[in-house]
Amino acid sequence: MNWFIKRTGQAIFTLWAVATLSFGLIRLMPGGAADIMASRLQQQAQGSNIPREQLREMVASQLNVDPDAPIHEAYYQYMSALVQGDFGNSIRYGGQEVNAIIADTLPWTLFLMSLSTLGMFAIALSLGAIMAYKEGSTFDLANTGVGILLSSIPYYVAAVVFIAFLGYRTPLFPVRGRYPSGVDPGFTVEFIGGAFHHAMLPALSFIVTGYGLLALTMRGNSIQVLGEDYVRVARLRGLPDRRIALRYVGRNAVLPLYTSLLISIGFMFGGSIILEILFQYRGIGFEMNEGIIYRDMPLMMGTFLVITFGVVIALWIGDATYGKLDPRIKSGDDSEAY
Amino acid sequence: MTVKPTDDDAVKPTDGGSSSVDGSRTDGGQMFSQAEITEVTRTQRYQEWFAESIAEPFRIAWSDWRTKVGLLIIAGFLLMGLVAWISSSTWFVLERIVLVDSPIANQGSPRLQPLEDMSHPLGTDMNGRDLISGVVHATPTMIQMILAGAVFAIVVAVIVGTVAGYKGGTTETVLMTASDVAMTIPGLPLVIVLVVLIEPQSPWLIGIIITINVWAGIARTIHSQVLSLRENSYVEASRTMGIGTPTIIQKDILPNLMPYVLVNFVYASRRVIYDSVALYFLGFLSFRGVENWGVMMHLAYANASALLNPEATYMLIVPMLPIVVLSFGLMLFAQGTDRLFSPRVRTRNEGKSNTDETDEPDPMTGV
Amino acid sequence: MSMHESTTDRDLYQTADPIVEIRDAEVVFEMDRGVSRVLESADLDIERNEILGIVGESGSGKSMLASAMLDAVVEPGILSGQITYHPDERESVDVLELDDRELKKLRWEDISMVFQGAMSSFNPTMNVGGHFTETLDAHNYDVEAGMNRARELLSDLYLEPERVLEAYPHELSGGMKQRALIALSVVLEPDVLVMDEPTAALDLLMQRSILSLLEKLKEKYDLTLVFITHDLPLVAELADRMAVMYAFQLVEIGPTEEILEHAAHPYTRALLNATPNLDAPLSEMRPIDGSAPDPVDVPAGCSYHPRCPLADDTCVATDPDYHGVSESHGVACHHWAHAAEEIPFNVDAAEATTGGNQR
Repeated sequence: MNWFIKRTGQAIFTLWAVATLSFGLIRLMPGGAADIMASRLQQQAQGSNIPREQLREMVASQLNVDPDAPIHEAYYQYMSALVQGDFGNSIRYGGQEVNAIIADTLPWTLFLMSLSTLGMFAIALSLGAIMAYKEGSTFDLANTGVGILLSSIPYYVAAVVFIAFLGYRTPLFPVRGRYPSGVDPGFTVEFIGGAFHHAMLPALSFIVTGYGLLALTMRGNSIQVLGEDYVRVARLRGLPDRRIALRYVGRNAVLPLYTSLLISIGFMFGGSIILEILFQYRGIGFEMNEGIIYRDMPLMMGTFLVITFGVVIALWIGDATYGKLDPRIKSGDDSEAY
Repeated sequence: MTVKPTDDDAVKPTDGGSSSVDGSRTDGGQMFSQAEITEVTRTQRYQEWFAESIAEPFRIAWSDWRTKVGLLIIAGFLLMGLVAWISSSTWFVLERIVLVDSPIANQGSPRLQPLEDMSHPLGTDMNGRDLISGVVHATPTMIQMILAGAVFAIVVAVIVGTVAGYKGGTTETVLMTASDVAMTIPGLPLVIVLVVLIEPQSPWLIGIIITINVWAGIARTIHSQVLSLRENSYVEASRTMGIGTPTIIQKDILPNLMPYVLVNFVYASRRVIYDSVALYFLGFLSFRGVENWGVMMHLAYANASALLNPEATYMLIVPMLPIVVLSFGLMLFAQGTDRLFSPRVRTRNEGKSNTDETDEPDPMTGV
Repeated sequence: MSMHESTTDRDLYQTADPIVEIRDAEVVFEMDRGVSRVLESADLDIERNEILGIVGESGSGKSMLASAMLDAVVEPGILSGQITYHPDERESVDVLELDDRELKKLRWEDISMVFQGAMSSFNPTMNVGGHFTETLDAHNYDVEAGMNRARELLSDLYLEPERVLEAYPHELSGGMKQRALIALSVVLEPDVLVMDEPTAALDLLMQRSILSLLEKLKEKYDLTLVFITHDLPLVAELADRMAVMYAFQLVEIGPTEEILEHAAHPYTRALLNATPNLDAPLSEMRPIDGSAPDPVDVPAGCSYHPRCPLADDTCVATDPDYHGVSESHGVACHHWAHAAEEIPFNVDAAEATTGGNQR
């Protein structure tokens, strides 16, 4: 429990640190966000000189950071707006609230990520376990080679190849958008099927380039566990192979991978920016790019914060639930309870 | 009351504790040699350190095909960088030597397909720039980025990890919390934001920005490693002998961190390659010439619509090749050196055996 | 000392009512650098309800002998020879001829084993009770009755049944884990319990207390115990008979007391002399010179000859047969008759070991 509190405190501290960092980027950096924004507003006005006071107010209202206020006041303003879930207003989308945009796009990113993560782990874990059972066989060697080779391909390179060959050359999958145009969102086969169809290539880009290393780790863990005394004893005790595979080898080999799962969530959340751009997939990473292209600071920083918060919270949930899976964590440090 | 020598080794008169015989005896072996070293001169000490920490691991690693292929690929890549550097150097001896032309517009006819014109074997882009020139001349900046990024990440990680592990107390808490925080922030979005705001040009700076929070994960590994090393008997022995902390860190701890440093250096390098190419590819980084493979991809993608147009796809594929090949080399290298971590694997793969192993069979071979 | 002439070796390792008969058991591993023979033509009877101690230094093949009794030699080792199990009421079983299903029944239901390394014999992600139920379940035993037996066993071993059954392995101390493992290995009521270095990782006090618990357990559950160890004084205290292994062969077999007093193999004598003894001055302790042979390259003739002070050309040339020291005491040595003179005990070993232990 003590550990849980500590971990929660750390998560909150991280959120605070990221928020502060983002405030710092906006406010303090020379040529930082506030300045960029002011000059951009100035440009938009096209010649007609906006009075400095008006400019300041516009920047302040959109960024939640008042460039001219004393730093502690500005910081207070910014943080309290964040706590209320206010990320300012987007320039790109004509003053629309950033959190409305986030609410529209975040679920899609989460959907894409869950699909990729599930697919990747399903493939990697089963493949790794089979490889371990057949250690040294041709199957094992071939898959090790292929796994390393595929892991050497950056996911965006895979995406480019998929788009070119599975999207355009042989149009098996759509290469842009989140769902088929002309289909209304709702619980219909067309919509859900279409959404999966559209998510297929981006997810595959992650899966194909990511499963290899994970499978190799799983293989290594399984081989190690297969050599453990408790597996040998379990065999001599006459336990069915199925039980040994799942309850003994599987469980003990998968548990250490839980950390990999969490790390890969962070990695994918970050990587989603690139894939969403390539696939014109309107998720949160896509909007972050829009913010960058249009020099739309509130949109850019808002999406950045949400992505970061998402990862921090995901990691926190993961850590907090790990103890439920591995009995050794529960009791914490005192390894001999009595 | 009567105690038989319960240790296996005690029953059979030991042959000087040669650690080579038995993987599980590595620690004892190290303790032995460390104790000796304190008596010998500095030169001998470094010789021994070299033999133990560099030469021997290298020999073992080299015996693995993966390391071999990996190292060859990495060497080829460095050679490519050297070729580009010589070709573009204005230093007086090298000024006239041009092995590979610099990529400039109208080197050849635009949009030459690979193998179409053998003076441009891999073809040219829509501005007539030779693609091989582009690939080769992007290498030196890539090396700079990798060096800056990986060295930065490793140095920070080693300092944070060892200091935290060694100082303990508040220092440790602060440093490790900082690492945890930095680790949980997703790297790429942060890097993109920083790059957009800072607009860095120097490859060194770009490399460092990319690994801005990569150090954190490595620091964690090193920290836990230091903690376990610290408990080791020979480190304890040094401490009891009154040897100062900096000396212990330098002489006992750092050499043992080498494998971790090496492997993480490789992973950090891979990260720099992936991310720098992505940043150029998607246009987050501005460019002047063809200074990165990502720039070539960007030009193909944005200006030649290589995705749509089958005729231009090669412009995208060609710069992708060195990325994949190089990261394949790095991955192989990392996988091949993996065994350096495990003394058990080390002895096993050398085909050494001992009676213990056959009596209580190696668990790796399974039931 | 009675001096039989070299007899046919049959009688020497045979007992009146054996529960397990091992004949010409051999284990080989094919290795890159040659064939590794880690158990060589072992012949041994295990008498019903006895405690047999098998002693040998690490790497002498004693673990192989133990695994052989359950046909559980680890791959890629190949076990040959004949192992016969004689149950109380059923027909004798040829262990190496059993199919998988029968073998599964034999293991743990008839012959059970406690492995070296109790610390790692439990699945770390499953509580101890789970190990008991799944074992009962896998052998189609009545789980409820079996668990009652498990609780009784645990309390016989001075453990709190409920707490231990609910605990995860990491929550138990080494000694507790060891005892829980012993309980687990007899939960299916086997006839024979083979224990491979069951006390190696424990402190002295815990070793002793586990030994006395084992004796109790043996009486209560009618067990035959095979106790494998490198710790000679430990078996001396517990075992009825002893078998000494050297270089993958059984070199001496006999009743414990006789071996302690009249050990006839130079190796056994050296082993007894190497036993530290608080009563004896350190200067009198004699380590055995040389080192144990490599299984791939065992010396020709008597495998002990490179280390043996009695060795001569005969020893280099021919592998010794068994010679009868007494009716139940056999030794594989050409010069067994002179061993006692040539290698005197530095103290009275028998007294030192047994006396020391009883204190």
